[in-house]
Amino acid sequence: MKIKRRDFLKLSAATGLAAAAFKGSTLNALADAYRPGIGGEKPGYWVASTCQGCTTWCPAEVFVQDGRAVKVRGNRHSKQNEGVLCPRGHLSLQQVYDPDRIKTPMKRTNPVKGRGVDPKFVPISWDEAYNTIADKMMELRKNNESEKYALMRGRYTYMRDILYEVTTKVFGSPNSISHSSMCAEAEKFGVFYTEGKWEYRDYDLDNAKYILIWGCDPVASNRMVPAAIKRLGNAIERATVAAVDPRLTTSAAKAQEWVPLNPGTDAAVAGAIAHVMLTEGIWHKEFVGDFKDGKNLFKAGVTVDEAAFAEKESHGLVKWWNLALKDMTPKKAAEIAAVDADQLVRIARGMAKAAPNVCVWMGPGCCMQPRGAYNSMAVHALSALTGGVDNVGGSLQGSKNPTNKVPKYDKHMDEVAKKKTKLKKIDQRGYLNLPALGGGKSGGGVSTNNCATGMLAKDPYDIKMVVGYMNNFVFSNNGTDKWEKAMEAVPFTVHLTTVASEFSMYSDIVLPCRTNLFERIGFVKTKANRHATCTLLQSTIEPVFTVINEETDYPWHIGQKLKERGFPNLADCLTDIFKDPETGKAPTSAAELTEYALKYYTSPFWDGKKDVGGDKIKGWDEMKRRGMWNSDAYKYKSQWGGKFSTVTKKFEFYSETLKKALTGHAEKHKVDVDKVMEAAGYTARGELAFVPHYEPPKQNGDPKQFPLIFIDYKSRLNREGRSQNCPWYYEFKHVDPGDVGEQDTVRLNPIDGKALGLKDGDKVKISSIGGSIECVARLWEGVKPGTVSKSFGQGHWAVGRTASKVFGKEARGGNNNTIIPWDLERLSGSNARNGGHAMVKIEKV
Amino acid sequence: MTQYAMVIDLKKCVGCGACALACKTENNTALRHAGQAHNFADFQHETSGKFPKTKYMTRPVLCNHCSNAPCVKACPVTPKAMFKTKDGITMHNDERCIGCRACQEACPYSKMDVKIGETSVISYTGDEGAPHDPFFTNKTEVIPGCTSSGAELAGKTDMPPHRTKYDHPDYKDVRRSNITEKCIFCEHRVKKGQEPYCVASCPARARIFGDISDPNSEVAQLVKKYKGTVLKPEKGTKPNVFYIRSYNAR
Repeated sequence: MKIKRRDFLKLSAATGLAAAAFKGSTLNALADAYRPGIGGEKPGYWVASTCQGCTTWCPAEVFVQDGRAVKVRGNRHSKQNEGVLCPRGHLSLQQVYDPDRIKTPMKRTNPVKGRGVDPKFVPISWDEAYNTIADKMMELRKNNESEKYALMRGRYTYMRDILYEVTTKVFGSPNSISHSSMCAEAEKFGVFYTEGKWEYRDYDLDNAKYILIWGCDPVASNRMVPAAIKRLGNAIERATVAAVDPRLTTSAAKAQEWVPLNPGTDAAVAGAIAHVMLTEGIWHKEFVGDFKDGKNLFKAGVTVDEAAFAEKESHGLVKWWNLALKDMTPKKAAEIAAVDADQLVRIARGMAKAAPNVCVWMGPGCCMQPRGAYNSMAVHALSALTGGVDNVGGSLQGSKNPTNKVPKYDKHMDEVAKKKTKLKKIDQRGYLNLPALGGGKSGGGVSTNNCATGMLAKDPYDIKMVVGYMNNFVFSNNGTDKWEKAMEAVPFTVHLTTVASEFSMYSDIVLPCRTNLFERIGFVKTKANRHATCTLLQSTIEPVFTVINEETDYPWHIGQKLKERGFPNLADCLTDIFKDPETGKAPTSAAELTEYALKYYTSPFWDGKKDVGGDKIKGWDEMKRRGMWNSDAYKYKSQWGGKFSTVTKKFEFYSETLKKALTGHAEKHKVDVDKVMEAAGYTARGELAFVPHYEPPKQNGDPKQFPLIFIDYKSRLNREGRSQNCPWYYEFKHVDPGDVGEQDTVRLNPIDGKALGLKDGDKVKISSIGGSIECVARLWEGVKPGTVSKSFGQGHWAVGRTASKVFGKEARGGNNNTIIPWDLERLSGSNARNGGHAMVKIEKV
Repeated sequence: MTQYAMVIDLKKCVGCGACALACKTENNTALRHAGQAHNFADFQHETSGKFPKTKYMTRPVLCNHCSNAPCVKACPVTPKAMFKTKDGITMHNDERCIGCRACQEACPYSKMDVKIGETSVISYTGDEGAPHDPFFTNKTEVIPGCTSSGAELAGKTDMPPHRTKYDHPDYKDVRRSNITEKCIFCEHRVKKGQEPYCVASCPARARIFGDISDPNSEVAQLVKKYKGTVLKPEKGTKPNVFYIRSYNAR
C-alpha cells in the first residue's frame, strides 16, 4: 500500500495533481491557523501507592483514566524520589496489563512434575481451590506432621506477618522461609559485625565529598535509585566518585576512577586502601583515634604494639593491622586483584582528604559469593577509617519507622503448633556447615537456597506441602537444577502469583493475585536520603480479573475453610487480633481484614495519639490520600559516643561480635571456631576469622576446562525477576551499558572474543559445572579480560509469551542461575550469586 | 517569535531509560514491529578506548524540531501535514497525512527500516487497516482457559490498555494506521502549562525545556554557557535539541 502511494505521488507531482486531494485533507484547519482546541489531558486522577520494582520501594502515584492505570510517577511528598521514578515505574504498566495474567484459579491435572512437562492446568472455582488446599492442610494436621508445610515468601509487603508468620505458626509449622538471603544477607553481615546493625545503609550523597561505590551501580539498582540518579551528575562535578567493579557500570563510566578488580578479591583491594591510609597516617583520627605519642608506627610488614594506640569510636584497629593489613600493600593487592597499585594509593589519599565526608556505598557484588562475608566487612571498614560512618556525607543508619508490630497471637497456637514451631527449619540454618549468623546468632538468618538441600535430603524431615507467594525459587536461586528436583518431589504445591512462572509449573494449584503498585494492598517501610518512609500500596484500579491479596485475602479464606473442617484457630486468630483501630470492629470479610490490618499497622502515623516526628497526618483518609509518611532527617553521629550495637559498643575492626557469634556456633556443635571456618568453606584459621581479611575467591569449576569468570548483574529494567514478560524490557535493554536491545547478551572483552573466534551477534553456549545456556555474544571494552558478564532476568521457559520462546517448553535467552552453580555464603546463609565463583566456557553454536 | 527547544545535560543524564519509557506511556506508541521503532524518545550509545581506559556514554535522542526541517519540506500535501507551529514545534497533522513517508525519508535522524540498535525520529504506523499494536490483537492464551490474551485484555480496557487519553486538534492520542508519527514536544501538555512528559519524568533532571529565542531563558543560558551542540550540524537542519557537558568525569 505505502509503496503504491509513494509511486502515485511521484506521478501526481509530475502531472501537477495536488497531493492534498487525498483523504482527510479537506476538513482541517489551515496548518498555521493558531491552535484552538487543544483539550490536553482528559480527566483522570492520581492515586498514591508504592513501586516495588526494586528494593528502593518508591512512594509512587498512578494516574487513572476511565478506571485504567495509564501513567506512573513518584509520590510528590517523597523526600527520596521527589515525585520522579526510575524506568521501572513506567515499565510496570506492562505488568499490570500483561496479556498473560492468570484470570482464574487453576489446578494441575497431570500428576507428573518436571521441567518442560505440561501440568495440563484447568480452570477451577475459588471454592474448589480453597477446599482442596484446606483438605491438604487438615491431612497434615491429622497425621501430626504440620511441620511439613512450608511457606516460601518472595516479594512481600509488611502485611506479610499475616501469611508468612501468623498463618504458618498458628497452623503449626516452623517453616516460614523468606527470600532474604537471595538478596544481600552477606552485605548486612559486614555491617552487623562491624557496627552492629543487620540492615542496609542509607547514604548522604548530598554532602559527600568522596563517593566510593563498591560492587553495585546505585543509579541502576540497589536501594535509592531515583535519589542516586538525581545526584550522580552533581556528584561528579562536586566530589570525587570512584567505582570498584569488574564491569563498566553507568556509575563507573561516569566516575573519575574505575577500579576493575578481579571478582571476589574485594577484601584485598579494600585492605590495600586501608593499608595506605594507615601507613601514611591519614586515617580519620576523630573517629579512630591515634598513637598515644602521636608517632605513626604503621609501617608495611611491621607488627605494632596494641598498647601504643588509643582508639576513640572504634575497636581493634591495631589487631586488624597486625592480622590482615600490614602485608596488604597496594602492590600485593594489585597482583591479587589485577588492578593498578597507584590508583589504590590515589583513592586512599583522595578519601582521606575528603574525610569525614566520605560515602562508602557497598553493594552485594563484593560479597554475595562463597567467601564474601569478609569482603563486606573490609569494604565497610573503610567508612570507619575515614570517619564517614554515621556522619555527614557518609553511610548512615536509618531513622525510626514506628509502625505497629504484629499483635500477640500465641494464645491461638495450640499445643501442636507450640511444639512444631520449635522444630528445625528446612533450610538447615544453624547446622555446623551453615552458621547463618543473622543478628549475631547461630541459625539467626535464613538460607533460602539451602531449602533445596533440606528438601532433597529430607533433613530435618520431608516437606509435603509448599505455599509460595510472589516467588520463583526454581528460577531465581542459583543452581536451578537442584531446585527443579526439589520441587518435583513436593507432593502438593500452591503458587500465589500474578502470571505463571517456572514455580507455577511445579504447582498443583495456582491462584491469581494482585499486582503490586496497582492492585495489591499493603504497606512497606523503607529509608533513603536520610528519611525513613512508610508508604502504602493501594488498589488504584479495579482489577480486570478477580485476583486476591495473597497476604490477607488468602489466609482469611483458608482460615474459614479450616474452621469448617474443625480447626478454627487461624480464623479466630485473625478476627481477634486485627480489629479496626478506630471502631474496634472485628473483620467479617477478607476485605475488612485487609483494611483493618493496614490501619492497625500504620496508625501511629495518622491517629494523632503520639508524636512520631516527621510528616503530620490527620486521620486515615489523609493517610490514604497522601499514601506515605516521611520521618525527620536522620541525625548524624547517632551511634558515635559508644552507641553502636556491637559487643564493645564501638565500631569493630576486630569483631568481638563475630567472635561471640562464631564461638557460640562452635560451642553448639562442640567444635572450635577453626572447625566452623573449615565447614563453612573459609580458609582463615585462628584470630584472622574475627577481622576483615582477604580470602582467595572460591572457584566452582576447573579453570583449565572453564577458563572465564562469570559475572551476574541486575538490569536497570529488572523489576526484580519479573519484568521479562514486558516487551519494553527488550526494546530498551540497551540502557544497560554494553547490552543490546531485543537479545540476551553475554559480554566479553574483545581479546577473549578474538581468542574464541567470536564476533558480535554470534550465538553462543555458556557452560559451567552447573549447566549450560544459550545467548548472544557481544565483544565490549567495558568487560575485564578473563571475565564475562550477563544480566540476570532472561531465560524464562514458563513466563508468558514474551519471556519464553515457547511457553512451558523453551526459554528465550538463558537463566544465569542455571550456570551459576548451587552454592552458599555460609556465614550469612546467602545465595552465592555474585563475585565470580562460577567458572565458565563459551562456545559458538 | 517563540522557539521551543530542549537542552539535554549529559553530565546529569545516566542513560536510565525513564524518559523514553515515560514517553511511551504518555503517547501510547506501539511496540516495535514491522521495521518501525515507534519510540518518540530513544538512546544512542558510544564506547571508545581500550580496557581499562574504556569510555562509555549514552545520548538520549528525539525529534530535533529543526528550524530548517527537511521533513516539512518533503511533505507533499497542501496544507502540509508536517509543519512548523508558530512556537517552532515540528508538528504533525494526522488527518492530512497520507502516509507517503516522504518526511521519514527526508529526515537525517530517521530510518525507513529500523534495525535493532538503530533509532528513528519518525515511524510509520503501518499500512491501511493495520492494528495500532498487534500485541494487543493476539488471541492466544498461553494456558488455555486460564490466562488472558492481548485481545481479551484490550477488549476489557483499551488499545493499548494503559492508553493515556488526551485531545489535540492535529494529532490523536493513538494514531491511526497509514500515517507517520513522531515526537510533538507534547504540545497537548505544553499548551496547558506542563512540561513535555520526558522532561517531567527525568529522574536526573537532565532535560530542560523552554524558549530559546528568549536569551534569558534557562535553555538559552545553558546553550550559551556550555556551548551546546546539536546532532549532524553539517546537514544544516538547525536542530532545537541541544546537548551540553560531558557524560563522563574522566
